[in-house]
Amino acid sequence: MEKSEKEGKIWAIGGGKGGTGKTFVTSAMGTYLAGKGKRVVLIDVDIGGANLHSFLGINRPKKSLTDFFETGTSLNKLAVKTGIDNMSLITGDIHSLASDSIKFTQKLKLFRHIMKLNKHYVIIDLGGGSHNNTIDTFLMADKMIVILEPEITSVENMYHFIKNALFRKLRMSLREYGFKEIVEQMWERREEYNIKSLRELMDSIRDSFSYVGDIIDSVLSNFKIYLILNKIRSSDDILIGSSMKSIFVKYLGVDTKFVGFIEYDDSVWRSVRERRPFMLNYSLSRSAKEIEVFTENLLQGKEIKLSRN
Amino acid sequence: MSRKSLKRYFEILELDSDASLSEIKNAYIRLKRLYSTDSMVITPIADEFSKKRRLAVLQQIEEAYTKLNEVLKDEHQKSTNFGKPGMASENDTEGEEVDSVSFSGDVLRQIREKRGIQLYEVALDTKIRVEILENIEYERFESLPQEVYLKGHVSNYARYLLLDSRKVADDYISRYKAWKADAKEKV
Repeated sequence: MEKSEKEGKIWAIGGGKGGTGKTFVTSAMGTYLAGKGKRVVLIDVDIGGANLHSFLGINRPKKSLTDFFETGTSLNKLAVKTGIDNMSLITGDIHSLASDSIKFTQKLKLFRHIMKLNKHYVIIDLGGGSHNNTIDTFLMADKMIVILEPEITSVENMYHFIKNALFRKLRMSLREYGFKEIVEQMWERREEYNIKSLRELMDSIRDSFSYVGDIIDSVLSNFKIYLILNKIRSSDDILIGSSMKSIFVKYLGVDTKFVGFIEYDDSVWRSVRERRPFMLNYSLSRSAKEIEVFTENLLQGKEIKLSRN
Repeated sequence: MSRKSLKRYFEILELDSDASLSEIKNAYIRLKRLYSTDSMVITPIADEFSKKRRLAVLQQIEEAYTKLNEVLKDEHQKSTNFGKPGMASENDTEGEEVDSVSFSGDVLRQIREKRGIQLYEVALDTKIRVEILENIEYERFESLPQEVYLKGHVSNYARYLLLDSRKVADDYISRYKAWKADAKEKV
């Protein structure tokens, strides 16, 4: 196994808003990687309704992550065949993933087991929303991938999602270093400090406690986002991807790579209706080509080359 | 100065350090537009990403562009767009090659439209009212402010379009003067 592959084994796909195409992208990337001869497992942890199996044209697996939590069934036993060589699927369900039914220690156990899976790639479909379990799974991944649609609602939810993730990461890291109270205290006294945003919170912490500045820097330098723009309808829409990336970098200080886009394509829903994996059914379509391009970019940590950019 | 020492500026413009001058210019225009307009990606965080912060970002972008332009111009002088009309930078001291074009209101409008920039965007950035900008472009001299103010507006507008502001203002004002002399004669 190459070094870069080892480092980037776990990919999580999120982004806040539902319906932006996370499940579709998960299934398509997985199919592409499996086609390259990589061992891939997809994990569906969409709280709102796991339906990754439908994108692959198979029935809902009988066993789910509930069995992992309740009876300790191993992940390997939960993984079902997908009809595509080298690729299997593990499904969660609302029961096992809902807000409080899952303890922090259980979550850590699940992450440990995911990391130990003997696969080249583990691709996790997080679904929509910014629930703590969703965010924690996102933060655990080696590659944190977000899907954006060129719609203001998607933009809004993505800001919310990324800020939530960054805030949680910051709090976790400061706690690890023994500065548990700093973030909470600052946030509670935000009016006094005139803090209205995450950015101002980070700035204030830096100003007031210079010794934690390095911790914030290291959090930010390890917090890398990969951005995919889905359902674009004109080439102008592509600018929304590069703009979003720019604001993440310049405003939040978050290293972001805009890895690619997919054109709006009716054959996607057609392929779901036909219960056939898109990448096999429409392997010659423009969308399939675009998926290949950004999956390769993700593998190589490269950005998309924009001729107009 | 080598390209390596300019790394910071390339990063500000979100470019690799082997970017060409035209890529630099495009990135500059794109970013300047992004941070000076209220678009779909800015609006949702406009409250917290204040005007002041955005202005600071714009200043960085401006500085990066000026610096890169200054240093890399010599390196690429012959091989790039910079010799073409309207592409000279503000601090272009040897802008002889741009002299072939005389800047009229119409030329300014064409350059603006070619870059897909709307008048209101210019107005937001330069603080010149849209109707004045429009009068400048259509050379409605009778509706324009006095020469000193006009000159200031025209140079601001030219700077926004990344043109050699002095040359543009001189060209434009000489057209204005010609009109004025003409009008006097008629009286």
